[in-house]
Amino acid sequence: METRTQTDKTVDLTKEKVRTPSFDVSSLAGQGDPMLAQNPVMIDVRGLHVYYGDFLAVKNVDMPIRQNEITSLIGPSGCGKSTVLRCFNRMNDLIETARVEGVIEYHGVNLYGDSVDPVEVRRRVGMVFQKPNPFPKPIYDNIAFGPRIAGWNGKMDDLVEESLRRAALWDEVKDKLHESAYALSGGQQQRLCIARAIATSPDVVLMDEPCSALDPIATLKIEELMLDLKKDYTIIIVTHNMQQAARVSDRTAFFSVDVSERGRTGYLVEFARTQDIFTKPEKKQTEDYITGRFG
Amino acid sequence: MTDTRAHFHGELADLEQTLLNVADQAEQMVQMAVEAVCLPDMDLAAQVVRLDVKIDQTYLDVHNRWMQLMALQQPMAGDLRMMSVLLHLNTTLERMGDQCVNIAKMAQVTYGLPRSETIIAHLREMGDLVRPMIRTGVEALVRRDLDEARLLPAMDEPVDRLNRNMYKEVVECGPDPELLEWATRMMLVARALERIGDQVVDIAEQTAFLLTGDLMEFNDDAFSGGQPLGG
Repeated sequence: METRTQTDKTVDLTKEKVRTPSFDVSSLAGQGDPMLAQNPVMIDVRGLHVYYGDFLAVKNVDMPIRQNEITSLIGPSGCGKSTVLRCFNRMNDLIETARVEGVIEYHGVNLYGDSVDPVEVRRRVGMVFQKPNPFPKPIYDNIAFGPRIAGWNGKMDDLVEESLRRAALWDEVKDKLHESAYALSGGQQQRLCIARAIATSPDVVLMDEPCSALDPIATLKIEELMLDLKKDYTIIIVTHNMQQAARVSDRTAFFSVDVSERGRTGYLVEFARTQDIFTKPEKKQTEDYITGRFG
Repeated sequence: MTDTRAHFHGELADLEQTLLNVADQAEQMVQMAVEAVCLPDMDLAAQVVRLDVKIDQTYLDVHNRWMQLMALQQPMAGDLRMMSVLLHLNTTLERMGDQCVNIAKMAQVTYGLPRSETIIAHLREMGDLVRPMIRTGVEALVRRDLDEARLLPAMDEPVDRLNRNMYKEVVECGPDPELLEWATRMMLVARALERIGDQVVDIAEQTAFLLTGDLMEFNDDAFSGGQPLGG
């Protein structure tokens, strides 16, 4: 049976607090190897339902996301995988009718608790989107923007360099930090967005189809980067590319969708170690999906 | 159900069918090889050697097709397990063909030597036990039938017993050097038949892997259940 040991970190997600400017997240580094013991649960999803108005978009998701692992969410279009991903940093709050039932605990704190500040949540749970979306600013300012707003008062040059190094982009941009981010290639722009996401010292990075706009080489570079980053971060990725899920993730959640007159309701079919999902899935539905038999 | 990978699944099914045909041929070769020894019949022996050349050609062809499917289609889950089974089956059947050739060569080198009817009868019995094993092993795979696959260790048991007893019978041929030479060669025939029996049990283990996702060793003590390999 899966154990649900929680991370021993205590977090404060309330608004009124002193921000501690620290890039060093080494205290969070855990055992990245999924073959070793179970990493502690960082985000624990229990009985999650997501509604848009009174329409049930995703139902009954239970999913312990473990620290320093890459968890991938796969499934057909409309199965709710992106909706679930966006619950983890409260991005669904931006949709007026969206409503969440159930529990999502982050380090043991309910992300949807009354005193929780969504802005603080998004600082700790960063996000990278499908299309690279750098700010129309120089490379340097793309990285510095978030920390400045968050009140960071350390040496900005060091933070920018460290973030770009972690995103495996430093060597390619160190001589043009003050040129526009738009001058970079698509793959470089996406790595810049990853650098920007980690500049505010999150411990979780969400990625919503981060490679779907990239060529194969740029895709492999992002995947390599993800494998490097999981030493320091917990990564959750939505991908349409099953091979990508197989290549990078430690655990895979397969979602499917019930279609009714009122619309499509997504649900979690199977959540297991990636190697099991792709060699011996327990559910026939999972087997049919990943071997290309739908219906 | 819509199969969005119908072409790939078609090629996978073709590959399986090719190997099932090889298995039928191997079963036929066992019968011919044993008859070549027991009658003895040199034409049958030569025919076994010729048939094995065809099995070897198919082995290479299947290997190439397998590599292509693996590289180009990247199969997963049940398809991936099937690929693993087919690779294993290809090697196992090729070796079965080689064992039949070993038997046929024993028929050739012992031609004209005196013989023991007891040993001949036991070799025939072994052949009569091994051929149904091949058929059962293949049927279990074709029908995806775990229960049928699990019959194989029990079917293999009398083959092993006959092989063990062969030594005693060979020793009894002792006083006559020519008869002893013949009998010593027949021990190798028994050994080849025993190996073929073990290879069929391997195929049954692969069928169980295909169906359960766990590779099991079907040993004699636990043939009804099977023990997962490597914990």
